[in-house]
Order: sequence, then C-alpha cells, then structure tokens
Amino acid sequence: MSHYEAPIREPLVLGDKSYHDITEDIAKPIEGTANKNWYIAFYISLAAMLWGFGCIFYTIGTGIGVWGLNKNIGWAWDITNFVWWVGIGHAGTLISAVLLLFRQKWRMAINRSAEAMTIFAVFQAGLFPIIHMGRPWNAYWVLPLPNQFGSLWVNFNSPLLWDVFAISTYLSVSLVFWWTGLLPDFAMIRDRAVKPFQKKIYALLSFGWSGRAKDWQRFEEVSLVLAGLATPLVLSVHTIVSMDFATSINPGWHSTIFPPYFVAGAIFSGFAMVQTLLGIMRKVTNLEDYITRIHVEYMNIVIIVTGGIVAVAYATEFFIAWYTGSPYENYTYLSVGAATGPYAWAFWSLIIFNIITPQLLWIKKFRRSFIITFIISIAINIGMWFERFDIIAIVLSKGHLPSTWWRFEPTFVDVGIFIGTIGFFFVLFLLYARTFPVIAQAEVKTILKSSGEFYKKRREQGIPTKPAIVIANDAGLNDKSNKE
Amino acid sequence: MASNKKYWKSVEELKDSPIVETLSKNEFVEDISTESFLGDKETLENSSTTRRDFLKYVGFTTAAASLAACEGPVVKSIPYVVKPDDIIAGVADWYATSIADGFDFANVLVKTREGRPIQIMPNKEANGTTSARVQAAVLSLYDEQLRLKEPTKGGEAISWSDADKEIAAKLNELKEANKSVVLLSGTMASPSTDKIIAEFLVANPNAKHVIYDAVSEDAAADAFKAMYGKRALPNYKLQNAEAIVSFGADFLGDFHGGFEKNYVAGRKSETGKMSYHVQVESNMSLTGANSDKRVVAKPSDVVFALINLYNQITGASVSSNATPIDGEIKKLASVLKKAGSKGVVMTGINDVNAQLISLAINKALNSEILDPNTSLNIRQGNFKEVQALVSDMKSGKIGGLLTLNIDPSYSLPNASEFTEALNKVDLKVALSVENNETVNAMEYVLPASHFLESWGDTHFSEGNYGLVQPTIQPLFKTRQIQDTLLKLTGNSTSYYDYLKSFWSTNVLNGASWNKALHNGFFTKSSSTSTEQLADVSIADAASLLKKNTKASAMELNLYIKTGLGDGKQANNPWLQELPDPITRASWDNYLTMSLADAKVLGFSNPVKDNGAINGDFAKVSVNGKEVTVPVLIQPGQAKGSVGLAVGFGKTFGLKEEMQVGVNAYPLYTNANNIQYGVSIEKVSGTHKFACTQVQKTIAGRHDILKVASLKEVTSSADPKHSWNKPAFVSYDHQEVEAKSIDLWDEHNREVGHHFNLSIDLTSCTGCGACVVACHAENNVPVVGKNEVRIGRDMHWLRIDRYYSSEVETREEAKEMGLSGGDLYKVLETEAENPEVTFQPMMCQHCNHAPCETVCPVAATTHGRQGQNQMTYNRCVGTRYCANNCPYRVRRFNWFKYNNNDEFDFNMNNEYGKMVLNPDVVVRSRGVMEKCSMCIQMTQATILKAKKEGRAVKTDEFETACSSACTTGSLVFGDVNNKEDKVAALAEDKKAYHVLDYLQTKPNVVYQVKVKNTNEA
Repeated sequence: MSHYEAPIREPLVLGDKSYHDITEDIAKPIEGTANKNWYIAFYISLAAMLWGFGCIFYTIGTGIGVWGLNKNIGWAWDITNFVWWVGIGHAGTLISAVLLLFRQKWRMAINRSAEAMTIFAVFQAGLFPIIHMGRPWNAYWVLPLPNQFGSLWVNFNSPLLWDVFAISTYLSVSLVFWWTGLLPDFAMIRDRAVKPFQKKIYALLSFGWSGRAKDWQRFEEVSLVLAGLATPLVLSVHTIVSMDFATSINPGWHSTIFPPYFVAGAIFSGFAMVQTLLGIMRKVTNLEDYITRIHVEYMNIVIIVTGGIVAVAYATEFFIAWYTGSPYENYTYLSVGAATGPYAWAFWSLIIFNIITPQLLWIKKFRRSFIITFIISIAINIGMWFERFDIIAIVLSKGHLPSTWWRFEPTFVDVGIFIGTIGFFFVLFLLYARTFPVIAQAEVKTILKSSGEFYKKRREQGIPTKPAIVIANDAGLNDKSNKE
Repeated sequence: MASNKKYWKSVEELKDSPIVETLSKNEFVEDISTESFLGDKETLENSSTTRRDFLKYVGFTTAAASLAACEGPVVKSIPYVVKPDDIIAGVADWYATSIADGFDFANVLVKTREGRPIQIMPNKEANGTTSARVQAAVLSLYDEQLRLKEPTKGGEAISWSDADKEIAAKLNELKEANKSVVLLSGTMASPSTDKIIAEFLVANPNAKHVIYDAVSEDAAADAFKAMYGKRALPNYKLQNAEAIVSFGADFLGDFHGGFEKNYVAGRKSETGKMSYHVQVESNMSLTGANSDKRVVAKPSDVVFALINLYNQITGASVSSNATPIDGEIKKLASVLKKAGSKGVVMTGINDVNAQLISLAINKALNSEILDPNTSLNIRQGNFKEVQALVSDMKSGKIGGLLTLNIDPSYSLPNASEFTEALNKVDLKVALSVENNETVNAMEYVLPASHFLESWGDTHFSEGNYGLVQPTIQPLFKTRQIQDTLLKLTGNSTSYYDYLKSFWSTNVLNGASWNKALHNGFFTKSSSTSTEQLADVSIADAASLLKKNTKASAMELNLYIKTGLGDGKQANNPWLQELPDPITRASWDNYLTMSLADAKVLGFSNPVKDNGAINGDFAKVSVNGKEVTVPVLIQPGQAKGSVGLAVGFGKTFGLKEEMQVGVNAYPLYTNANNIQYGVSIEKVSGTHKFACTQVQKTIAGRHDILKVASLKEVTSSADPKHSWNKPAFVSYDHQEVEAKSIDLWDEHNREVGHHFNLSIDLTSCTGCGACVVACHAENNVPVVGKNEVRIGRDMHWLRIDRYYSSEVETREEAKEMGLSGGDLYKVLETEAENPEVTFQPMMCQHCNHAPCETVCPVAATTHGRQGQNQMTYNRCVGTRYCANNCPYRVRRFNWFKYNNNDEFDFNMNNEYGKMVLNPDVVVRSRGVMEKCSMCIQMTQATILKAKKEGRAVKTDEFETACSSACTTGSLVFGDVNNKEDKVAALAEDKKAYHVLDYLQTKPNVVYQVKVKNTNEA
C-alpha cells in the first residue's frame, strides 16, 4: 500500500489528520445524532418517495394509459429516467474499479459514496423497466427461467433482454465490491460501538472482520479481482443500454457510435452526480478535509474529457444526419429539424446544459471552485436527462411515416414517478450517510503519512518532534482513550 | 310383482341376530359427550382454549372464509335443448339480405355466429356495396341504450293487442270525422311495403303518405321527373365513362351511394382506359379527393360555372355570371365534347334547375353514361310535402300522424316547429326502431324490428330487387313496421306470407323464392325504357337558377360525413370513432374553412404539446339562424365558403360520450345544401379536436407514397428507373437494388401458403368501410374521444391521408435555394389546393420484421404463412415493438377497454358484447395488438378445405378488409398459388413496398397511385 507521493503534490487529506482523527471524523455521523437539516432533507425525500410509490401503484392498478404516452410514442419519461439513472450509476464503478487499477489514490475519499450512489441509482433505474411494462406482474417472464408454460423461452435477440442481464450483473458486482470495501470500516464501527444492538448489527455487517494480516491480504486480493471484473462492466452496461436504441431502425437511434458515446455520457453524468452529492455531503458531514479541492478538480477533469467525447459525438450525429441527405434523418434528435421543430426547447436545453456549460471547467479557477462545480454539476445532470429525453421523445415523435408524427406531454403520474425515484434515491443516500462509513477510512489511512510528513514539518519549523498523539494527550485534547 | 329378494349386509343380519337389533337402535356406539361438555358450565369454563389454539382457529376460519369468497366469476352457458339444424357452434352462417334504413341502401351478406349477427359484408354477387355506415349497422342492432323494447302509450307499457285495438279505433274515428291522417316515413324502396301502404290508404281514404328524408335529394328527383316523367334519381354507368365532370356531387362519399365500384372499374391504368375525372366544388369532398383534377370555387361560382358549361357545350347563351374558373370550364367543355357520349356531368347542387341543366348537358353530349332506364328508387323524400304537412299540423288539420322510423324532431330545419305542431295532432303514433326526439313526443310508441330482425324486400334501381330476411329473433318485444300496418289495415296475414305472395305474383314470375332468398337479390330485366318526355326550357331554368343563387361574401355548403351520414346511427361508437377520411377527425363535426379566410377571420388550429389539435369557435349565422361550431382549417376549401356536416349534435337518449358535434340541420333551410349570405364571427372558447393524424404532407418522403401519371404508367419506360424506383444501395461500389442483398439466408417460403395483401392506391377511395369491417371482425375496442385526441385510437387498419405540398421534393426545394428548417417547412406545409392520396396502413407483416427481434419475451413472431403473429398471452407490454415499427401500426392496450365504465362503449354492456367475434380474443390491458391478417379467417379457410378434402381454391382466402373493399383495392391471397390474383399483383410493375429502403420485406404490397393527368 505504501508508495511514494511527491511532496509537491497537493495533499489529499488536509488538516494534519492523525489516524485517530480520521476514525473520529468518519465515525461521528454514525455514532452521533442527526441534526435538523438531515431530518428536513429526509422527510422531504420520504414524502417524494411515497408520492412516487403512489403514482407507481396507480399506474399498475389502472394501466400505462395514466402516462402521457400514445400510439406513436411508446416510451418517454420511463426509459429516459431509466437510462438517466443507469448513467448516473456509472461513476461509482469507474471510480472504485478503474481508478483502483490505475492506482489513483484520490479515489479513496470518494469511492465509497460514489459506489453507494451507483447502487442506489441502479435501484431507481431497475424500477423503470419493470413498471413501464403493461403487465408488470409478468415481469419475471423476461428471465430465462425453466418453466412449464410450454416451450417458452426468452428472445435472446432482444436488447431489452441484454439489459436484464447487464443491469443485474452490474448491480450484483457493484454491491459485492462495495461491501468488500466496507468490511474493515464496518469492523471499525463495530469495535467502537457501545450499544449492544448496534454492535451486533455491525458485527453482522462486517462479516467477522478481525483485522489480521491475512484479512488484509485477502481484502487486497479480492478488491483487485473485483476491480478487474467490474472494469469491463463499466463499458458493458451502457453499451448494452445504448443498444436498445442502436439496434433499432428508427432514424436517430440506429447509430453505430451509440455504445462509446453512451459510455462517455454515462461517466460524464455519473461524475456530475458525484460532484452534486459530495458537494452537499462534505458540508453537511464536515468532510471538508477529505473531499478537497483537488478531488473536485480531478473529477472535473474527468468531466471535461468525457464531456468532450460527448460533444464530439453530438457533432458527429448532427453531421451525419445532414450528410446522409435522407429525408428520414430530418428530425433525428440532433438535426436542424430538432433544433427548429416543436422540441427545439429540449434540443437547446441539451446543447446549453451539456455542451456549453461544462466548457467553463477549462478555467482552473472555476474547476477548483466548489460552488461553481456544484452549479455546473446540476446543469450536467439536467443536460444528460434531456439527452435521453431528446433521443427517445424527439426520435419517436417524428417516425418514418409523417402520418404518425405526434407529440408527447407528461402527465402528473410521469412527473410523480420521476420525482419519486429522486426521493427514493435520497432516502437511501441519507440513511446511508447516517449508518455507513461514508469514506473508506481504512484506505484513506494508507495515504496518510502522519509519521514522515509530521516530523518533517516539525523539524523544519524547529518544533520538538513528538508524536501527534502524545502532544495531543499532553495538551489534554484527547480525553478518550486511544482506540487505534 | 313384489320381489321376495332379501338384501343383507352381514351374516348376522341375514340370520336375524339380536346384535343387529341392538346396534340399529344405537347408531353411535359410544356416547358422544356433547351434553356433558356443553351442558356443564363448570367443565366448559375449565376447558380453556389456549392462545395458540385460538390463533389457529382464527387463522383457519379467516383463511376458509376468504377462500370461499375467492370464487371466480361464473358465466353460464346454456346448451340447446333442441339444437336448431342450421346452427353449429363455431361455424358461421351467412345470410343474404338488404339494408334500407332510409339513408343507406345496399344488398349485403350477414355473418351470424351461434345465432347472433356479427358482421355485415357487401353481397358482391348482387353488386352490393357497403359503406362504413352499413358495416357498422350490425352494432346498432345491439344498441341497448336506444332500441325501443316494448310498446308504450304515453310512456306506460301497453300490450301489442291493446295498442292495435286502440289505434285502429282511433283511426276509425278519424276516418269517420274525415280528419286527415298522415303516414310519414323515410324512403323504404320496398315494393311490398308500398303496396301495404297503398292498401292502408285505400282503407283510410282520409290518409296520405309523405316521404321525408333527412338529407334531401328532392331537386335531383324533381328534375328527373321533369325530364323523364318519373320521380327517381338518375343512374350513372361510370365504368364506361371517359370524362366525368362533377359539380359538387360527392358520388363517392354520399350522393346516392353505390357508385364507387363502377367509378373505379372505369379507372384501370393497366387497360390503358382510365376516365378523366374533374371535380368542381367548394368543400373538399371524398370525391374531390379522388379526382384527377379539382377545380375549387365557392358554391355560387360552381352554380354559374355549371350554366357556363352548358353554354359552352350547347353553344346556347342562357343567362349566367362570369366566374373565376371560366378558363377551366372552357377546357372542361372541350374535354367533354371530345369524350362525347362517353362524357358525363353530375351535380350535387340541390336545386331543381341546376339538376335540369346537368341533365340537359348530358343530353347534349348524348351521354351513354347517364342511364335513365335503371333509375334509382332511393332517396324519394319530398321536402315540400313535409313542409306542407308541418303547416297543416300547425293549423290543426291533421288528425293523425304515424311516423315510420324517422326523426324529424331532430333533423328538420324547423324541427321545433314540427315538435310544437305535434301537440295539435290527435293521434300520434311512432313506429320506430330506436328512441329519439320524435318518438318521445308521440303518444303511442310501437317498437319496430331492426332490419336484421325483419323480413322485407327492396327495389333500389329499376329491375334490381332484393330481399330482407331476419338473421336473429327479435331481441326485444318489437314488431315489423309492415306487420303493424297490416294489422291496422285489418289484414290478418303475417307480413312474411304477404311478402311471399307479393313476390310470387309481382316479382318472381315463376322463379324460385328459395333461390331468391338464398341469393338475397333478384334481377328482372326491365322492359320500360324511359324516354325524355317533356321538353324543358333550359333558358328559364338558368334564369331561375341565377335568380336563386344569391352569391355572397361567405357561403355555406352543408355536407354529410362518411361516418355518421344523416345522423341515424349517432349512438354507434364504431362510426363515431371512425376518422373522417379527409380531415381524419373523429367524434366531431366542424366548420371547414380555407386558410385564407381563417387568417382573415382569426381562426387557427394549434397543435398542443400532447399532439392534439385545438380549434376556435365560430358563430355561424344564416337566414336568422345561428349555431356555434369549432373551426377546422381545410386545405382545398374554396375561399369564401365554409362547410359543415349534418348528422351530428344529436343528444336525445344518447350516452354522454356520443353527444358530440353540433346539429347543423337548423341551417338546412329548404333542404338546400347551399346557403348564401352567411356571416361568421369568432367567439371565445377553445374546442378540443380528436384527430388521428396531425402532419398533413408526406414531407418529401416519396418512397412511402408513390404517385404516377397515366402517361408514365402506360409508357414503355422501365418503371424501376422512372416512376416506381425501388431503393438502391451501394454494394461493392456498385449501385444495386436493396432487395438483392441480405444479411440472412432466406427461409424457404415456397412451401405451404404465403399470404400477401395488395393495396391499390388508385382504387382506394378512402371510404373507411374496411376500417369498420376490421373493428367488427377483430373486436377492436373503441376508446372514446378523449383518448383518440391524445393519439390512442386502437384501429388496426387506418387510412392515412396525405396532401400534396406546393413543393414536393427536396431537390425542387433546394433548387429554390431553400435549406434546413425552411426546406422542411416548405415540404411539410400542404398546398392551398392540394392533391389528396389515401393510403390504407396496417401491419405490413414484414418477413424481416423489426418488431420481432426486439421483443424480450418472443411474444411477436413470424408465422410460416408470412403472418407476423402476436401472442397476447405472452406479451408483457414493453412497447419496444411499437417503437421499432417503422409503420407505427401496433396498438397498445393503455387501459382495460372491456367491462370498464370508463370506456362505456359496446364492450361494456351485455348487448353490445353480442357483436364480438368469438373467433378473436378480447385483449387485456397492458398488451400490444395489431393486424393479424385475419389469421382466424385464413385458418378457417384452410380447415374447411381440409375437411372437404380439397386444395384451397383460387382466391378463396379473404380478410375482413379485403371482403369489405367494394372497389377491389384490397386484394388478399396466397402468392404461392400462382393463380391467385395477388400473386400477379405482388409482381406487378406498379407494386412497391412502403419504406422499401429498410428492406423489412413486407407481405403487404402497394400499387402506385395512378392519376389521369392527360386532359383527355
């Protein structure tokens, strides 16, 4: 684990933390009580979630007709939300798996929450393919289950079926990977817990982590193996989601650049969502020392790169739509037709939020500003929602036969379900923030050079070189006994 | 003889052992301690039920009670006690009969299943044709809401015998008082009924018979009488025509019905003989939409143009006015002169003088097309007599009024006057199939049987007789009108016997009654030849016509819509939901207005965010009468004219959903379809239209819709490189036909049947009969106005209508220097006076179906016979198939459309459900459905052939739409049987596939629309 970090690099943990400080900081939200803000946020999210569930039950009880869909536009907000949430779910695995393989230490402060976000986002995403069905009670028919209905089997040609496999694989691997990382941290909470019930729960969650060297060794190995397994998933999930569109024959969907472009878009939106969430969390849970400007900047760089890929893809789509000279391409979601047609507002929302706004991040000052990053991340979240909405609604609204051109308007149920999933997501995330160690403290501790850096600094300043703990104890700052 | 046998159960019993005696006295060997258990209070209290036991009991009883409550709904089916010989469960019986409801007249075949009529098809042997209305009439039979169920007197039930007695007595009183009695009926076109009425009139010398048609053809009948001495409508043999010039005669959409078959027969490009059809009109009619050339003029100009044409043709110079279309008229005159006896002029102007001029032009042309010998006996209504009746009623001269299945209280222009005048009539009797305003105002209401429950005969045109026979026992306590009249005349024979003897003496001439009944028609060569009798002064007619034509800034042209007609079937959800072929609006009537006028008057039709169209309201005032109607901008509407359909706005007794539109009959002053001096004022309010199509043009996508001129089609040029270009792709750097390359190995489709459907765009008039036939055959649900409005109609088969734009192709637009959004706009905006093309669109049954590959559960798959099949039971409803269908023909069950009060149409009541086709399942909520190519019909055909031990005959396969198609536009069959018509059509040089470039390889093949643009 130990490796040399050039001293000219910006530190990833600020505030001259000791190992114990980290433990304290991470355990604080779990062991303490929630503040008023948390309760306000939680109840708002809960209300939104319940409203969304109400809308879902209404849909299932009455029929898909309560949505705004029609004979020509068979998908709109449902699949838009699905793809949006799946896309958001992309940053987590990228951060924890790919960055692990690339030995990017800055991931350590954010991977836990990013992965939590992934899992919660995939929960939301997974809802939509089920509830968008006309007969969701038969949703299990999309699984290749041995059955006695006759020789019925699923259709392996269908991209929707690939989705089923892709999403479920992604969810399970992400979950396992996340949990593995959580084991030493749960053990830490377990060891600190004073309430027997709490202790029991965390003991269960930590799977009997003992902190032996063998545990650590296996932990490292499993993490590496899982990272290796998860990395292709980063590419595969959104590739397959994009195939829902790319393998179809609708002009605007039938496009070979969809897989890479969707993957880039997913990472783009995933990082934006991480920025949004961590921007709030670092404030609320006092993690400013762990999620620092340099983290934000690194993530912004990823956003610039993936955003660039997305912008190039847009340009390509636009060019190709024009270059084909085919009248059927007049109204693909990136075309003159879309820019001037009835959905021009959606088209320009996409361009402004997704292409123009992120360009601000080229400026270092903005890139390192928490508040500007936060605003831009919100813009990207909106922009990416519009991307999917445009792909689905604009393309379907202008099908091959002009007689079938139609428009889509959402009903309160469409809106309600979307808001409900946002509420559900935040309910899960808020509960997570109160019960889970939100930063992989065991890992962060590995990049803390409390011994070396500390004494170096002291020597330079001509201060006696005592260990921090001792000084702190001497000063009476640490009343609790050292649990390290 | 008593038996001495003794039965025994044990040896002891046999031997009469005492133990048997003892045991028989003591059924329970051990005493059951119920008494001691329940009687002894102490023990009872001591025997404690533990908590666990208690919970067990509670659990068991709850479970048992809820299980008992979970009983599935029981639908009782009762077997026949004595099975009728001709009804075999699962086998359809067909009966030949005729419809003559006063507005629609046709020889039809009726399909019955298990004794229930479920479909009406044209009797093609009798040259029968069906419109959407005739097709839908089968549903009106089951109209539980409006059908009269028992005789009533003043709202109280009365027995038939009492009613007969009372009415007969009152008629007698009136006879003795010599107060006049009037039989007011619609056109019945029934010779036997005419005789019964004549007998009634003889028995009641004070009685009179007045015929009233809601939509009048008075002028044509009167003109024909003036010219040929007989009050009838002229018949046209359009199949022989070379030039047809119609002045506002909508002979395909309305007129007298039944012309479409002959019209199309005369427009076959493959024979090189195609009539040249010019329509001079102000409204965009179905006929105008089908014409080769449409000359647009406001109604007064159409009238003057007709006189001008007369002058041009005959060289006369009767008085007229100049019109903006005189140049066109000059051309038309030369066209007609060239066609000579093969030319014909028709007019729909409801003015006797205009009709006379039209007849005179035909006479001047020596037209063979107008055939006075086979004149039509339909639409016999006499509006003047009706008006006289109303004034007589008002002055109290009428003692008795018997209405025979008509509703003047709704459809008369002065309906309220009529209804008020009814109070002054002593004896008011309504004989009616359905309840309506008129029936409501009558004292005696005698429910009449629906035509599907009745006997009868018809005589639509000279020599062409038809029979009406019942296809079901009367559903309610009804009696035929004829039976009632016979009773009132004092004739005790049943109408059936009467009819039979009438036919054997007057019609059959010794031919077999059974055969005539089986065929449903009987043709008798008519010996009467109608010569022109009177020499009518056309100059006088013209000057009168000119005088009566009070040209004004805004003129109103009333018309009838394909769906509702005169409004008789306003409670029929199939017809309400049928989109108008021209505007594609359902559940509505509206003021059609030209774009130019709409701009001036400030009307618009914005498309809302949910895809639906809205409209503004206009207050239309004419002759002191006012109605407020929504405005729909109609391309091709003459500037200075507006159109409005009658037949809507009926409210009495109708379900709320059906009470749509505005009653335009009050504007139908003097039964004249053209009203001058109209003023239009925009009033506040927004109307919500339910249109099934919003985009009006093809937007430069010409491989969807191919139109060629007769010249091109008959030229020797290779169609593949000129007028019927298939898609080409670059393959190995060479341009090759797209169909020549394929990713997959083809299945061998030579074995067995391989179905194809050919759709000839030239023959398709857009009438919509196929749409209703599909409704009936496939149990397609009706969803109502609000759902249609937001794009959720369930029609498996729709007829797309495209208008031409000023600039038709991208190339042209680019040459004009347009690009981008401007280019699109030009291609997507319809021309002011566009050409119209209809394109029936249903599942194309692609051999490379995009829908099939994307279904995750394999609910839609390809059949061996070429059908793209939909397994409803397997469908989970992802709608991916619909999104991936380039033709957008898949329909999703957004809600449960049966047994649901939210959709209170025929699938929500016990009577309405009787029309359901038992061969086709009613789909549940959440599944996708679409055209199945009537697989239930093709399978039935195959099974029938198999049972009879033969191969399927040539052209034996049919689908509902192809059977309903009178013009032969839709041809269905097996391409593997080279004899089948469709096999040749699939290979025809005119054949093409829609969206050929996608290479979905559809089994539905279209034939290029041919227009005769050669000006003869």
